Amino acid sequence: MNARPLTIALPKGRLLDHLIGMLRSAGVDAEAVAAASRRLVVDHGPWRFLICRAADVPTFVEYGAADVGIAGKDVLWEAGRDVAELLDLGVGRCRLVVAVPEASGVRRVQDLDFNSRVATKYPRVARRYFNEQGIQVEIVPLHGNIELAPLVGLADAVVDVTETGRTLRDNGLAVIAAIGTSTARLIANPVRYKIRSGQIDELAAALAAAVAAGGRS
Amino acid sequence: MAEPLYTRRMTPRGLKDFLPKDAARKRAVETALAATFARWGYAEVITPTVEFFECLALGDGPELVEKMYRLFDREGHTLALRPEVTTPIGRIVATRLRDEPKPLRLYYIANVFRYEEPQAGRHREFWQAGVELVGATGPAADAEVIALAATALAAAGLEDFRLDIGQVGYFAGLMAGVDLSHDDRWALRRALLRRDYVALEEVLDRTGLPGEKQRLLRELPRLRGREDAIARAVELADNPVSRAAAENLGTIYAALAAYGVSERVYIDLGMIKDLDYYTGMVLEGYAPELGFPVCTGGRYDNLIGRFGYDCPATGFVIGVERLMLSLEGQRALPADAGVPQWLVSGDGSGRARALAAAAALRERGLAVEVDVLDRPPEALVAYARARGIPHVAVYTGAAPARVFAAPSYRELPAGEVQDLPGAGDGR
Repeated sequence: MNARPLTIALPKGRLLDHLIGMLRSAGVDAEAVAAASRRLVVDHGPWRFLICRAADVPTFVEYGAADVGIAGKDVLWEAGRDVAELLDLGVGRCRLVVAVPEASGVRRVQDLDFNSRVATKYPRVARRYFNEQGIQVEIVPLHGNIELAPLVGLADAVVDVTETGRTLRDNGLAVIAAIGTSTARLIANPVRYKIRSGQIDELAAALAAAVAAGGRS
Repeated sequence: MAEPLYTRRMTPRGLKDFLPKDAARKRAVETALAATFARWGYAEVITPTVEFFECLALGDGPELVEKMYRLFDREGHTLALRPEVTTPIGRIVATRLRDEPKPLRLYYIANVFRYEEPQAGRHREFWQAGVELVGATGPAADAEVIALAATALAAAGLEDFRLDIGQVGYFAGLMAGVDLSHDDRWALRRALLRRDYVALEEVLDRTGLPGEKQRLLRELPRLRGREDAIARAVELADNPVSRAAAENLGTIYAALAAYGVSERVYIDLGMIKDLDYYTGMVLEGYAPELGFPVCTGGRYDNLIGRFGYDCPATGFVIGVERLMLSLEGQRALPADAGVPQWLVSGDGSGRARALAAAAALRERGLAVEVDVLDRPPEALVAYARARGIPHVAVYTGAAPARVFAAPSYRELPAGEVQDLPGAGDGR
């Protein structure tokens, strides 16, 4: 049943080079991905790499178009897909936070008005978070440059990821709550994880070793 | 407000039509499954599409209850569209079949309804083919059900597939004596159910269970393989319930050899599934083309008791559309499904001969279309080519039938068509 190459969905963007290095330490030669920068499907030996938008990695994996993939926990929270989560890669660390304009005087999420609007790339996560807090807000889904929304009166707060908080600060935004901390995860399609468990477990173990080695250096 | 055109010409989200080709393929798959179930002594039951919500909710966990389409009848009762068929069968067994000799072997092929996000091979209305072996405890009953699942999938034409079996008692035993809050217990189970090993680590780190227990729970997802996995599970078990569960699975697995299906079956004690529902052996079937299980099932000894009649049962269900998707992936669905093999036509006095020929061909089990538009041979051939009908026979008066055949649709010489009734000579 295992004649096909193992298909790995990788997120394009900042993290990709880092992941290629990590895969190399785990014995997976993914250099071909970097070399073929415009190709979306790269076959190399026993591997096939799919280069996807980060937010789409869980979808490719859930449907089995990819056997495994690497996705941020923030993306997994938002996607709500049924995928197995095998390993925390420890990279791509960022916090998912609620931020408001410094000048607004809001210091806690409880201070947000009943008619507050929250701009975010993570509408599902944001909705769940505010529901759990018992706060009724209007979620405004956006696709990027979330910091812009409060500056022009589109929203009173944002839910977004931040690594250092710098972009938020530069735009006059202050963090008032942390929803969670995200790192990149190795995920697998639950069925493929069974059918090809040997290969996938091997990959997970090699990556775990690479993560541990990276942590020591 | 939706535009009228939209609602008039579309179906609601998640609901679909089967056009002739797909309907014929679906019928072929269902016929193969039904014939297999029947040959194993299972009898068909048909239950209502709509039942009282309270009845369906008795069998279904909170997740399915949330997905039910609900409506009210005029007396104000809450009704629901069935989201699966095992619960209605439990109701029948506990009521009208209560006094029948046991065990009962029942099967069904039915449409079910779930209000959920449409995904590959699963819509809001989809089809299930399943069996229930009712009134039998013990590994022999579970082995029969597993062997039947393998046989039925193969009979439908699926070549490349496997079944994984587990035993929910193993995990239940591990957790029985553990000192955990309800929330942590739930988080642990969910992490194992979803194979979220990152969350599993978090929960284990946070709750500070004894080291031995932690090691066991970490090892649980790795208890996979064949006999070796069962041996390891028995050895690792730290309580009698888990040990008994692993031994039970071992007995079931050993019994499969005599059915000739062991090659297809793998052990996975990390398969948790719904613990409120399953009480023993659990099974899932996978085809490599599909990222979702094509069949699922197991032993559920408590369900029928909820209807007031304690009765053990075991069974499985195949997702018909998922099976069709897998078959398509393995190119095992007939390409010509839903298309007749012959198009027959006859003018005035040739018509009776054409109809006699059609009747004779149908007698042989072939699908035959008779022209009702009085079209000339060229038009018939063009139509047959467009439809993919491989043979055309034209009866004109008392003259020998003219036969045209795919792929060229050239006219066959008279000598080659003696197979066709009345082809040679009409006089």
